[in-house]
Amino acid sequence: MSPGGDARARAIAASERRLTPEEVEAYLATPVSASEREEVLALVRWFRRRFSTGGERLAYVRRAYRRWTVGAQ
Amino acid sequence: MQGTEFDELAFFAAVQTSGVRALLIGRRALVVLGLPVLTADYDFWIHIDDIERFNSAAAPFGLAPTRSVAEARGRGRYVLENDEHVDVLVARAVPTIDGQSVSFADVWGRRQPVALAEGVSVQLPAIADLILTKRFAPRPKDLEDIRLLEILQQEGDTP
Repeated sequence: MSPGGDARARAIAASERRLTPEEVEAYLATPVSASEREEVLALVRWFRRRFSTGGERLAYVRRAYRRWTVGAQ
Repeated sequence: MQGTEFDELAFFAAVQTSGVRALLIGRRALVVLGLPVLTADYDFWIHIDDIERFNSAAAPFGLAPTRSVAEARGRGRYVLENDEHVDVLVARAVPTIDGQSVSFADVWGRRQPVALAEGVSVQLPAIADLILTKRFAPRPKDLEDIRLLEILQQEGDTP
């Protein structure tokens, strides 16, 4: 389900906030767990298998973003 | 030109054909590498002497610069837009949040070409350099991206 307009605006604002050096270092100091690593790598494997070229991956994300924004209206 | 009509692959082909020293950075670079993240914009870091040629390559797609070439050089960045939005970094060097200077020349020298389709490729920074670009003015989503890129980097991953 796509988020509503207000929720989407709040999510964008939160993700666009500029961070302080201390916040950056604190976040990046947290080690990546084995499960997080495997989850990310599994996602990458799926994405590369499903969309074998960079152009196909870009096109997929473009479609996905359009669906997300249209769904929020 | 409406964004929905934007021919993304033709745009990248035009950039390639123009000969502009242009690096795709930002989240679309992550997507090319195989990380499915959402983004609205295109982000490029180009050589400061290539602004005119980059604008010429983008013009057939209805993308217009928000600043003159002189202003872009002075500010180190500008935007090409219609209902697409292309952020263009043109600074010769940019500091990271912890004060490390990252020069375009160095990053360009370590670039990796990646095929998008038959006959069309894009230049990406090396993963380590892409991580540095995420530290220029980091936002929460940039930190998430750094973690994803570090996982790829630790795998010795190439696209």
